[in-house]
Amino acid sequence: MTILKRIGQPAALALGLAGAAGGAAAQDKEPIKFGLLQDFTAVYTFVTGEYNQGQQDYLTLVNEEGGVDGHMIEAIVRDTGNEPQRGIEAYNRAREEGAILFDFLSTPVSRGLVDQVMKDEVVLITPLHGRGDAAAGETFPYVFPTMATYWSQAAILADQIKSSDGLEGKKIAVVHIDSPFGREPMPVLEKIAEVEGFEIRAFPYASPGNEQSATWSEVRRYRPDVVFIWGAGGGQSVSVQQAIRNGIDPAAIRSVVWMAETDANNVGADAMVGLKRFEATATGTDNPILERIVEKVIEPGLGAGDSSNVGSSYYNIGVATMTVAVEAARLALEREGAPLTGPKLKAGFEMIEGFDAEGLMPPITITATDHQGGGYGRVSEWTGSEWKPVSDWTTAYEDIVHEEIETSAATYAGGN
Amino acid sequence: MAYFIELLVNGALVGLMYALAALGFVLIYKSAGVPNLAQGALVMMAAFLVWYLGSLGLPIWIAILAGAALMFGFGLLVERLLLRRMVGQPVIMVVMLTLGMEILLRGLIPGVFGASPKSIDLGIGLAPVIVADVFMNRAYLIGGLVALLLIGASMLFFRTRLGTKLRAVSDDHVASWAVGLSVERAIGLSWGIAGIAAVGAGVLWGSVQGVDWTLSTLLFPAIAVVILGGIDSIKGVLVGGLAVGILGSVIPGYLDAYAGGSTRDVVTSVIILLTILVRPHGIFGREDIERI
Repeated sequence: MTILKRIGQPAALALGLAGAAGGAAAQDKEPIKFGLLQDFTAVYTFVTGEYNQGQQDYLTLVNEEGGVDGHMIEAIVRDTGNEPQRGIEAYNRAREEGAILFDFLSTPVSRGLVDQVMKDEVVLITPLHGRGDAAAGETFPYVFPTMATYWSQAAILADQIKSSDGLEGKKIAVVHIDSPFGREPMPVLEKIAEVEGFEIRAFPYASPGNEQSATWSEVRRYRPDVVFIWGAGGGQSVSVQQAIRNGIDPAAIRSVVWMAETDANNVGADAMVGLKRFEATATGTDNPILERIVEKVIEPGLGAGDSSNVGSSYYNIGVATMTVAVEAARLALEREGAPLTGPKLKAGFEMIEGFDAEGLMPPITITATDHQGGGYGRVSEWTGSEWKPVSDWTTAYEDIVHEEIETSAATYAGGN
Repeated sequence: MAYFIELLVNGALVGLMYALAALGFVLIYKSAGVPNLAQGALVMMAAFLVWYLGSLGLPIWIAILAGAALMFGFGLLVERLLLRRMVGQPVIMVVMLTLGMEILLRGLIPGVFGASPKSIDLGIGLAPVIVADVFMNRAYLIGGLVALLLIGASMLFFRTRLGTKLRAVSDDHVASWAVGLSVERAIGLSWGIAGIAAVGAGVLWGSVQGVDWTLSTLLFPAIAVVILGGIDSIKGVLVGGLAVGILGSVIPGYLDAYAGGSTRDVVTSVIILLTILVRPHGIFGREDIERI
C-alpha cells in the first residue's frame, strides 16, 4: 500500500459511513471505534499493508450493510513503527477519541500495552502475534488472541506430519530467526518429540535473516526428514531459497503462518511447489464475505488499497480478525445494549460460539477461560499458483499446548 | 573439511557482497571526507527503484541501468540540496545529516513504493554449484564476481585524472579551492558514484532476499567492513569484506550449536570493537584520518 493510497483510506471509510448512514436511525447511534494502530513502516511491513486493508474493507462492508445494529464502525488507523513508545502515544490518543478495541499487530507494542488495556478495561486483540499465554482468559481478561497461537500452530504442523508420514524416528530441524518469536515453538515441539519419539534440533539465524548460508550448511549436514521454518518477511523466502540450494525438497518444509504469495514470488512460484504452511484462514475470494466485499466495497471504489490484494493470505486474515470483532460487538449490543463499552465488548467476545465467518475461518468458540478460540487451524500446500488445504480445520496436542499456556500465564501472574 | 571449505567459500562470497554495500561508504569518504551513514538506505532505495522500473515493463538490465542513472542523479541532488548547506559546519553535523537521511529514506521509500516485499528476478537459478561436496550458492557466486568487478573498477577510477581530483578534494577542501578544483562538483560526483554502487548492492541483495526495508540493515556489516579495511581504502573494502564474510560464516558455523543462538552479529560486533582498539585506522586506512 502506498502513502497516497493510505491517505485515501479515511476518505474511503468516510464514504462508506456516509453511504450507510442514510437511515435516520443510523445517524442517531454512536459509532463504534476500533483502534488499528499498526506497524506500517518498520518490522511488520511484510504483512501490515494487506492485513490492514482487509480489516478496513470488511469494516466498510459492515457499514455499507447498515452497521452493527445501526451503529457505524469507525477505524482509527495510525502507524506505530513497531515502537512501544509510539504505540502508547497512539493508544492514548485513540482512547481519548473513544476507541474500545485495539489491534497493534506488533508483539512489542502489544506486550507493552497489555497491563494498560486491562487497567483501562478495553479490548486488545492479538491474532497471530503478542503473548501466547494471553489465551488464558482468567489471567488476561481483556486480551484476545482469537486465532491459533504459535504453540498451537507448531502442534498442528506436527500433527499433519504424523498423519501423512508419521513422526516416530524422524529428524526435524527447526530453522528460526534468533528472537523470542523464533524460539517460541521449541518448548511445545520438544514435548511433542518426547511423546512421539522423534528427534528435534534448533538452527537459529541472525535477524532479519537476509543471510543464512552458514545456518543451512549446518542443516544439510544434519540430514533432516522435515524442516520447520519459523521467521517472517524477507527472511522466510531466504530460508526457502537456501533450503532448495542445499538440496532440501520444498515438500519437506513446514512453515509458520507467515508465508504468503509474496514469498512464493520472491522464491519463484514454481520452485516452491510442495511447501506446506500453517493456515489460519482460507485464501482466495471464494467465500460469501469476500464476494460481498468485492461487490459492495471494491467495485464501487471504496476499497482501502490495491484491489489485487483482495483474497490474499494476509488480506483474508485481516478480514477474519474484524469479522470476529464485529460479531463480538453484535452479540454485546444484542445482549447488553448500547452504549457499547470495553467490558460489554469483552463479554461479547466471550459469547462467541462456533463462529466461522461464513466458512472463511475455522469455527471458534471463545470463553472466559479460553481467549484463543480453541486454537484451530489447518495446513495448506503451495501448488505453484495458490495454497491448497491438505488437512481439515483441527486442533492438536491440546494438553501440551494448554500446559504451556498455563505455565506461562502463571509466571506472568506471579510477576504482577 | 568439506564443511569448513563450504563455510569459507560461501562466507567469502557473502563478504564480497557486503563489500559492495560498503563500497559507496568508502567512495564518499575517499572523495568528500564524509562518513555516509545513509548508505544502507541508499542500497534499499536503489533496489526499490530498479524493482519499480521493472514493474513498468522494462527488461531487468535496462531497469538496472536506468536505476543507476537515477541514483547518480539522486547523489548529485543530495550534494546540491543538503551537503552544500553544511559547508563550514563541524563534521559531526554532516554525520548527523546522513543519519537523518537514513531514517527518512527508510520510512519514505517503502511508503512510496509499498512496504510489502518485492522481488527482483535476475534469472539466477536456485540449483547449487557443487564442487567436490562443497555447495556454493549460485546467487552469491555471481554477486561476488560482480562485486569484484565493481571494486576493481573503483580502484582504477581513482587512478584516473578525475579520481585524482577527488582524492585531492578529500585531502584538503581549501587547498583544492585554491588551485581551482570545484569541491562541490567533486563531492556531488562522489555521492553520484556511491549511488551507482548502491544499485549494484541493492539489486544483488534484493534478488536474494526480496526488496524491502531490511536491505537498509546492510549498513551494519558494511560499517564493520570499512572499519576493518580502513574507511578510505578501496583495497580495504575488498579485504575487510572477505574477512567479515568469512569470520561471520565460519565461526557461527561451529559455535552456534553450542551457543544456543546465532553468533554472527556478535562476531561482527567483536570485529568492530577489536579493530577500533588495536588498529583504529583499519588495515589499509591512513593514520591521519580525523577522528570525530
